[in-house]
Amino acid sequence: MAVRLLEKSAPSAPVSVFAAVGAGSRGRVERLFYDPRLTRVLSVRQANVLLVAGSLRDEDHDDLRRLHDQMPPPRATVWWGSDPIFGFDDLTTIAVEDDPVAAIVAAHRALIMVERASEPDLLPNEPANPWRGEGPHGQGGKGMMGGTPYGRPMAMTNDDLRDGLALDAYTAPFGPFLPMLPPGLKLSLTLQGDVVQKAEVLRPPLAQHDDGPTRALRLRRVARLLRILGLDAHADRLQDASRASECGEEVDFAKLRRLVRWSGALAAIPPGLGVVDGRDVRSRMRRWLDELGVQRPDPADPASSEQPARLVDLLEGLEWTEAILVINSFDDKALLAMAPVEKEDGNAEKGEGEHHHHDHSSRDHHSAGHAMNHGGGGSA
Amino acid sequence: MTQMLAILILLLFLTAGIAAAAMLDRAIPALVAGRPMKSSLSAPFAVAAAMAIAPKSDTEHPDRVGWVLAPILYFTLAAVGLSVVPLSPRLVAAPSEVGIVLWGACEALTVVAVFLHGWSANAPLPLMGAYRYVAIGLPAMLLSMFVLIGAALPAQSLGLVEIVESQRDVWNVVRQPAGLVLFLMLGLSVSLRGPFDYADPYDLAGGTQAEVSGAARLSWRLARLAMLVSVSAMTATVFLGGYLGPVLPGFVWLALKSALVLVALVAAGNWFARMPPARMMSFLWLALLPLSFLMLAAVGVELLLWG
Repeated sequence: MAVRLLEKSAPSAPVSVFAAVGAGSRGRVERLFYDPRLTRVLSVRQANVLLVAGSLRDEDHDDLRRLHDQMPPPRATVWWGSDPIFGFDDLTTIAVEDDPVAAIVAAHRALIMVERASEPDLLPNEPANPWRGEGPHGQGGKGMMGGTPYGRPMAMTNDDLRDGLALDAYTAPFGPFLPMLPPGLKLSLTLQGDVVQKAEVLRPPLAQHDDGPTRALRLRRVARLLRILGLDAHADRLQDASRASECGEEVDFAKLRRLVRWSGALAAIPPGLGVVDGRDVRSRMRRWLDELGVQRPDPADPASSEQPARLVDLLEGLEWTEAILVINSFDDKALLAMAPVEKEDGNAEKGEGEHHHHDHSSRDHHSAGHAMNHGGGGSA
Repeated sequence: MTQMLAILILLLFLTAGIAAAAMLDRAIPALVAGRPMKSSLSAPFAVAAAMAIAPKSDTEHPDRVGWVLAPILYFTLAAVGLSVVPLSPRLVAAPSEVGIVLWGACEALTVVAVFLHGWSANAPLPLMGAYRYVAIGLPAMLLSMFVLIGAALPAQSLGLVEIVESQRDVWNVVRQPAGLVLFLMLGLSVSLRGPFDYADPYDLAGGTQAEVSGAARLSWRLARLAMLVSVSAMTATVFLGGYLGPVLPGFVWLALKSALVLVALVAAGNWFARMPPARMMSFLWLALLPLSFLMLAAVGVELLLWG
């Protein structure tokens, strides 16, 4: 009886969608979730449908497969302006110019009604690497710490950058589908608690070719920063406004600016964070905010100067939220210029395998690794 | 007999409060976002139903016992904290002469429940949420202890009935308005909300919730809402005169005042920006804690001179 009631009311809930965003698709994915029939989840673990939008690099394919396997069944994948990669079948593909909402809702409904089979795992559910620990119990490392069981390094004590307090440092890859990072950006971070000790770019962000009206673009950039500051509703408002301004509707920019000011968003950002060419995150956000309604291209970017700042240098020593704020405070072009690949991801996985052996692992076995790759278990 | 009645009323209060909080959690963000609010009444139930039947996810070597226990512990703390709230001078589910001490213990143990939730997933982002919450939760709870002692001083008692009775002439919100503001901040912190949500934030892809789905996620969210209801009732009791009020029965007054606090908390959670944790740490230790201590001293001096 209770179960029947649940099953009756559940289908009227919006479909939980996890978006894996490829090249040139961030804007249209953000616009998509204006539709009340969909809700965007931060973790693929909470998704009913995986939406793959735009083209991916070859290197991203295994990350996508792993992401897919973390989605609990029944599950379906919808490809929107994206070529399905090897391994997936029962394909639902939508052309770039078409609206995928109906297809997503239909796929979800078919899963619930058991008219459509849930997609099977794409990768084997076994360790990516053999157990390589040392010691009588295979623990490796020193005493109870360190070592690389299953090819993943255990945390080892290291001095904190700020106060020299000895804490565990842990290296893991983050991205390329994490929702709070620009699509495609994959970083290798050595974290101590939540402080970044060392950062390396494994893969650069994917070009977004976001050459729509700059007004709409700026609204979306500010919206991303607002989400990191815990202002989801404000971000939704700006995103809706961005959509409206692209459709040529009137937008009250002064009102939006007031709304953001009153939330204390600017004051919440620590001063002196991520300084490039004398501007910190707060002043970059203030500039976007001031120029919300202005229809002219971005001023010359600091990154276009001779010696662009390196993103990895900016991140070191920052706490996680601050690092995420810094990454999102640059426009796509500037970020691309600041994030050259220093370490080949593929080589890293083979050569220094201890740090990046998450490939071909599977759902249960390596989900801790997945969690990092895909963002909190989700997150792409 | 009256105790059984009080328990029944409180259960009803908690259930209705959770439902109301879930609706407010849809309506107020929709209001801020300028989106239609009409689905706010039915949507929470549909979403909860969808979550209840959604499959459970799993990670590599999670702490399974801890994962199940964390939401149960969190919910229990909310219920125990609520049980000391008096509905009238004689109608209390758990009569206690040291009610606010029991509440303080529930606050402190919330840190354990949240940490357990993040720890159990055995994944980095939930663990980061867990550690962060411990770091921010500790000073936030110290703060509330000063504030509560400030409210207990005029009553010369740690019991909540006495604290309510001491407000017959003037509510504590008039005696220490800043104390109410500080206590509301604590409310945001123990219910993991908005500017004080360091456990489950967006930048950690949902933090301690990042690896959780289905019924487990639903239970965590229900526990969060239960704590929100509980802290609203506690705020109404300590600062807004609890069950005191003309004509209507005491528990109706308590419900009305709690509802007011609930709306304020949900609105504040959606309205104010969250600082990065390091900045919040400095703010708590260097600004708010000294302020709360000064307030406590001020209440003491006032009572000495005019009390």
